[in-house]
Amino acid sequence: MRGVLDYVPGNTILHRLDPRTKLLISLMICIAAFISDSEIFLLGLLALNLLFAFIGGVTAQALRMLKGLSKACVFMFILQVLFIQQGEPYFSFIGIHITDYGVRTAYMVILRLLDATLPLSLMLTVTRLTDLSNALVVHWHLPYQYAFTVTTALHFIPVFFNDMQAITEAQIARGVSLDTRNPIKKIKLMIPMSVPLLVSSVKKTEQEAIAVELRGFNLRTRASTYKVPHMHAADAAALLLGAVLIAAAVLLNR
Amino acid sequence: MIEFKDFSFRYASGKANALQNVNLTIDDGDFVGIIGNSGAGKTTFTYAVNGIVPHHYKGDFYGAVTVNGLDTVDSKPEQLAVHVGSVFQDVDAQMVASMVEDELLFGLENFGIPHDQIEQRVTEALEEIGISDLRMRDLDSLSGGQKQKVAVAAILALRPDIIVLDEPTGELDPQSSEQIYSLLQELNRRGTTIVAVEQKIGLLCRYATKLLLIDKGCVMLYGTVREVLQQSSRMEEIGIHVPRIVSLHKELTRMGLVRCPAPVNMDEAEAMAKEALG
Repeated sequence: MRGVLDYVPGNTILHRLDPRTKLLISLMICIAAFISDSEIFLLGLLALNLLFAFIGGVTAQALRMLKGLSKACVFMFILQVLFIQQGEPYFSFIGIHITDYGVRTAYMVILRLLDATLPLSLMLTVTRLTDLSNALVVHWHLPYQYAFTVTTALHFIPVFFNDMQAITEAQIARGVSLDTRNPIKKIKLMIPMSVPLLVSSVKKTEQEAIAVELRGFNLRTRASTYKVPHMHAADAAALLLGAVLIAAAVLLNR
Repeated sequence: MIEFKDFSFRYASGKANALQNVNLTIDDGDFVGIIGNSGAGKTTFTYAVNGIVPHHYKGDFYGAVTVNGLDTVDSKPEQLAVHVGSVFQDVDAQMVASMVEDELLFGLENFGIPHDQIEQRVTEALEEIGISDLRMRDLDSLSGGQKQKVAVAAILALRPDIIVLDEPTGELDPQSSEQIYSLLQELNRRGTTIVAVEQKIGLLCRYATKLLLIDKGCVMLYGTVREVLQQSSRMEEIGIHVPRIVSLHKELTRMGLVRCPAPVNMDEAEAMAKEALG
């Protein structure tokens, strides 16, 4: 997920929104996606997500996210189609019916998956983790330790990715061939490589704990937060849009 | 002032003492460079100063270490951190934020620095290190050397009395290494005590006022740069490569061509060359 979940600096309207607004509207889009049973509405949400990505200047990240999700989508589509036996069969083989209902359900599941995953990941690309953490601590009174844990976990994703890449390169340099299409063989090759990653991750986490302790982590108070985000008119408009989407999802189901 | 009295420490998982019977004082305003082979106990020494030992790494702690009068056993690391700023070897593992500015703000916010001083401190620290242009950059997009500078800037912004650095130039090119040490020297001139673990002994000789040589957990040599370099034979026995100019001085002395003490700066090296050439 390197490059996909990373913050992309910018000064677009999405960047300027309060982190709470971005979190809430992401959740609202997720809720609307799960409520709605309308194919058109779900496609509309997908288009809206891509429009948000365009406005936030993170279209490339959104497309990469879509590409990354495509494998999961194909996998889920096949599973749904094979296991749902209700409806009119298009065709049958070895006792398994591929039905119109199965195909439609699988299609809707995939649309929902995309609609629900994209907003949260897009939110991360246009929100500084520190701003998110500050907003949650100051306005929602989330204990700083919890907010810090979440932001640190996200911060470490690219760090661990770099470590994994370095380990992989080291193994390739030693003659290990990872260029195999056989997934089982690939897993077998990856398992030994995950051990040094685990060791370095534990070591890094320990170093991080020491480093933050020595920079006064335990002395932090809510009042000491320097940059506190505030809501403006654009935030209200964004939240209203979220509410409209949920209402539309409910109404279209009738 | 940092004072070690009969200090020994063995990690809970260790079979031998990581540091053994250390007795020394680092005075206010000293610039101490710590040298030694891998596993000698250099990092443990820095841990003893900032309180990581014994608060984070448990083990058998003997003797006493005091920092500005605070006993490191009785004081919590965050209390010691008000006096001691620390920069670690693994720069990635000490970054907490996603952006440079946020990295500097982290410590300032934690220590409750008044909000009207924060902007000035961030700006000054970035300017001093020469990375003002990186202020709004994503940390993940920086090179190892740039991250190292950010780590130093984050500590500078806190303005501690003592700065402890564990191989701060490990990922830096020669020019950036010189820049970091020039800055540390400038801070030292303004009264900050500097304790730096460093593999590049030539660099330390140019900037530090004292050298501390640790081997197998024991303090082998401690004194001014000149005093320590005069023991070059002992250093070589331990496996420490002395600066080439010191080796040259030793050779010229053996040949009877010079009588001056081992040079520790360019001026002295020039004087030695003139003496050797008659």
